[in-house]
Amino acid sequence: MKRIYTILVAVITLTIISCNKETATTQTEVMNSLLTNKNWYLDYSITGTSTKSYVGQSTYFVTYLKDGSTKDSDGLMGTYTVELINNQSQIHVQVKTANGNPLEVVYNIISVGETKLILSKVTTSTPIALYFTNK
Amino acid sequence: MRASRLLSNKFILLITIASFVFSSLNAQDLTTKQLDSAFLAHPFKDRVEAFKKSLAKKFVNFQGNDLSLFGALSFNQQTINDKAVTTPINYLYDALNTNSFKAGYTGGFRIDGIYNEKHRYSLSLAVNRVNAGSKYTNKYTLSPFIEDFTHYKADNQFTTLSIAAHYKKLLPINDMRKYKFYAVFGPSIDYKISQISKEHLINGVNNKVFINGDLGAEFDNKGYYILYAHYKLGAHLFKSNVPMQFNRFEIGMSIKAKDLF
Repeated sequence: MKRIYTILVAVITLTIISCNKETATTQTEVMNSLLTNKNWYLDYSITGTSTKSYVGQSTYFVTYLKDGSTKDSDGLMGTYTVELINNQSQIHVQVKTANGNPLEVVYNIISVGETKLILSKVTTSTPIALYFTNK
Repeated sequence: MRASRLLSNKFILLITIASFVFSSLNAQDLTTKQLDSAFLAHPFKDRVEAFKKSLAKKFVNFQGNDLSLFGALSFNQQTINDKAVTTPINYLYDALNTNSFKAGYTGGFRIDGIYNEKHRYSLSLAVNRVNAGSKYTNKYTLSPFIEDFTHYKADNQFTTLSIAAHYKKLLPINDMRKYKFYAVFGPSIDYKISQISKEHLINGVNNKVFINGDLGAEFDNKGYYILYAHYKLGAHLFKSNVPMQFNRFEIGMSIKAKDLF
């Protein structure tokens, strides 16, 4: 009977302690789900202290599809991945230019949500902050 | 002398016939399956009986122990402190923050007993379907581009399994032979058994178990049924990056199992 009690207590303890835990891919999966299958319209771009507004104008937009492909209003098509590198969430976009040359663009994700997206384009000079909405 | 011996013989004959008739009547009550079963070994049944006997021996001071089934309507609210969450995700604050109690439901069974003929108690096991209003304590802004937002989205619909041990203090109200009023308090533990969303898991590990302090009142109507109202104030049992406070108010009714079945 004592053995049964011991097993019962062990099973209950294990059940309570074992939890669903965050995995390495949890954050990128959530970001992907917020990012994909929407047209993201550029509202503002900020370079240093210069702010440009595109609100109410015909503006640049980009779409990230669930199958890992991307296309934008400039006609560029390619693939993308959301990655977490050194605790920084990034979108790595691989496209081909009009000349057929491969091009990789990296964006730091500042914030992503259901309707708002802020990216920082990683460049060798001053980074450009890009503010998107999907409405 | 002769008459008394004759009476005695008649009496013995009568007892013999009666016992034969009764035994044959009992035999008629049992089905063939039951008769077969009587000759077989029942290890599980015997073990349960032995377990019951050993419990009764060990917990000799715990008396009553009436089994009841209960159902309740619950009103739930969770307060979420997402201060430690650093993921670059935004959820619009006004869309998530509902600083209110939302309705869910609870069902389970409980055992009501008395210890040392003095201290009344109840032990319960329940399944709770929680639909909670969510109050977020922190909000952030990236004005003028994003209005108030939070970095974290907690699940507000989930199922828990809970156990509770309550002490019941009989209150001297009304005629206590008919109606009994109790003040009730004690701890309870909620364990989430439903699937946890990925949004909920971000920076929020180890938050499946809540420990609650319960306080309430109960009304026992002549032992037919018990009406109760309990308030439960809970918090995570283990340390979490997203500490939550879980408030629940339950209004329910319990009926003795033997009256139902």
